[in-house]
Amino acid sequence: MSILAYNGAAMIGMAGDNCVGIAADTRLGAQAQTVACTFQKTFKISDTIFVGLAGLGSDVQTLSQTLKFRKNLYELKEERTMKPKVFSAMLSTLLYEKRFGPYFIEPIVCGLQDGVPFLSGMDLIGAPVFTDDFVVSGTCTANLFGTCESLYKPSQNPDELFETLSQCLLASVDRDALSGWGGVVHIITKEGVRTRELKGRQD
Amino acid sequence: MGDSAYSFSLTTFSRTGKLLQIEYALNAVSNGRCSLGIAAKDGVVIATDKKVSSTLIDVDEVQKIQSISPTSGFVYSGLGPDYRVLTRSARKNSAAYERTYGEAQPITQTVKQTASLMQEYTQSGGVRPFGCSVLAAGFDEDGEPKLFQVDPSGAYFGWRATAIGKGFVNAKSFLEKRVTSEILLEDAVHTCLLTLRESFEGEINGKNIEVGVLEKGGGFRILKEEEVNDYLNEAN
Amino acid sequence: MANFIGVAPTIPSSLLDSHITPRPDFTTCTDPSNFLIPNVTDPAFYCRSNFASASGDKDAQQVVKFAKGTTTLAFKFNEGIIVSVDSRSTMGAYIASQTVKKIIEINPFLLGTMAGGAADCSFWERNLGMQCRLYELRNKKRISVASASKLLANTMNSYRGYGLSMGTMVTGWDETGPQLYYVDNDATRLHDNLFSVGSGSTYAYGVLDTYYRPDLTIPEAIDLGKRAIYHATHRDAYSGGINNLYHVQADGWKKIHAIDVNELHYEFADEKNEMVA
Repeated sequence: MSILAYNGAAMIGMAGDNCVGIAADTRLGAQAQTVACTFQKTFKISDTIFVGLAGLGSDVQTLSQTLKFRKNLYELKEERTMKPKVFSAMLSTLLYEKRFGPYFIEPIVCGLQDGVPFLSGMDLIGAPVFTDDFVVSGTCTANLFGTCESLYKPSQNPDELFETLSQCLLASVDRDALSGWGGVVHIITKEGVRTRELKGRQD
Repeated sequence: MGDSAYSFSLTTFSRTGKLLQIEYALNAVSNGRCSLGIAAKDGVVIATDKKVSSTLIDVDEVQKIQSISPTSGFVYSGLGPDYRVLTRSARKNSAAYERTYGEAQPITQTVKQTASLMQEYTQSGGVRPFGCSVLAAGFDEDGEPKLFQVDPSGAYFGWRATAIGKGFVNAKSFLEKRVTSEILLEDAVHTCLLTLRESFEGEINGKNIEVGVLEKGGGFRILKEEEVNDYLNEAN
Repeated sequence: MANFIGVAPTIPSSLLDSHITPRPDFTTCTDPSNFLIPNVTDPAFYCRSNFASASGDKDAQQVVKFAKGTTTLAFKFNEGIIVSVDSRSTMGAYIASQTVKKIIEINPFLLGTMAGGAADCSFWERNLGMQCRLYELRNKKRISVASASKLLANTMNSYRGYGLSMGTMVTGWDETGPQLYYVDNDATRLHDNLFSVGSGSTYAYGVLDTYYRPDLTIPEAIDLGKRAIYHATHRDAYSGGINNLYHVQADGWKKIHAIDVNELHYEFADEKNEMVA
């Protein structure tokens, strides 16, 4: 069994009209055994950048801390805020630095760059893909692609985006044994971030 | 080498609180050929005197202005070999930055890095300070053209226009009278050449000076001999 | 790939009904001895290494993977037997179904549970039902649970090493009263008061062992059965869906309920809050 699927995860990044959203489940398991139902997998890097880390739980925590550290150091050194595109490049580099002993993480990056949505996803050694609709990661990517392909619409407002993300996530994890048990959705707009928790099936 | 018994730092304080090695290094800069630069509204120009000590030297093989990245360049006054160490480091750092963050390194960062390196050589054991000052032309994080100077001490300054090397005091007062915050690149190139000619011993031409130009929205370019001559002819 | 041709495996002749003469058009449904067997020197080894199932990761490197992952339980108490199961079927991490019937009604007095390979369980328990019916017709009386479970164990024994996957509990009420047996694909056959089978069984055992008493009332026993299944579905990724629960009494089995385990989560959460309050 792949280490990437050891703990289980499901996450989506989706673009809207001048807004972007990220949704993830909250389960942490040890293969079949559900250990925690409130595990954090999405991280606020700045007011306009969120990163979702799907994969090995310990690496999720390590990497989230490293990323915040690198971002803070960058902002102190350069006396300017980090842009999502730069953050994505930095994360990609960070991952490839561990090419022969990788972090077992497949991350997604969601951000607003001058009010325009930025989305990227990458594999565990940092090969990035950039999209302008949605990006998914985790143990049920097949399910997530299915729900996102059918429910995604361009130019959704923040409320519509929240609804779509929630439906996509919940429908997908109900057909995945390793993810679910609750979820969280962040909607990023110029005005700020709105976070809501989702009640999911408990089996 | 670093931990040898003799690898103590040569740059130590005198009783009056001065670091004499650094002052000597600055003397080496002042004895070097004059270099100058102007940051205009729409670009940066850097130029230098590259007169050689013997007519037997092939001047085509003397290059004092160096590009660091596609959008930045250095020029120096002082010891040429020391300058080479700085350009080598700046180029590598600049490339690594772009590789890491996916965008060009702002000149502010290049300058900070170069200054850090120069500072390290004032406090480390078994080394001496760099015998050269550097003028750096590039864009800041907003894409604005900028000119910086870095000294052997590791101190750095941002300039509208400045000069280093032999006759830099005169050159600077000459620039002060001619450079405004509204100056444009074309004008700045002429002003640079004019300033250089002012203190130049002998006839100035495309062979014995070097000019580097960075245009806003474009890249850094070292002018060819003919281009320099064209500018000189325009001035006449 | 080997060709599949009709070569019978070594099934004890006692198992085969001597009154039924095999005919060419007989299907495996009525005569399992007609199974097509791989035409190789060691068919058991071939099956075991290519179609090995089921529980565990034995099929991880195989092309053919099996649906598995379950929690089932059954326990005997003074008022009969409770049989309680989940309804999830998975293929790897994918949830293939949330509405599987894992309690198989062999006949009005016999129940079998399903864990391991879904196809293996349903086929062989249906086959067991047929054998039990034949016994009834021949002997003018119902088969005992002991005999029925032995028939199934014998079948499992005849296919040992072929990679069948089955962990079942056979329960019912016969002349000797309520009976509970565990039979698996190794042909293990156990007789006891309490069993739980499947990937979620450890969680179920935790609840059962804590609260089980032989003198449970019927409502208490029903509550224990669904509580154990709920906790298993909550912690085990491969268990979930609906809790189906049966009660076996002297006059045969009775289906008690089919409840979405997600509702149980909030029911038990409320109960906990009330206890605190």
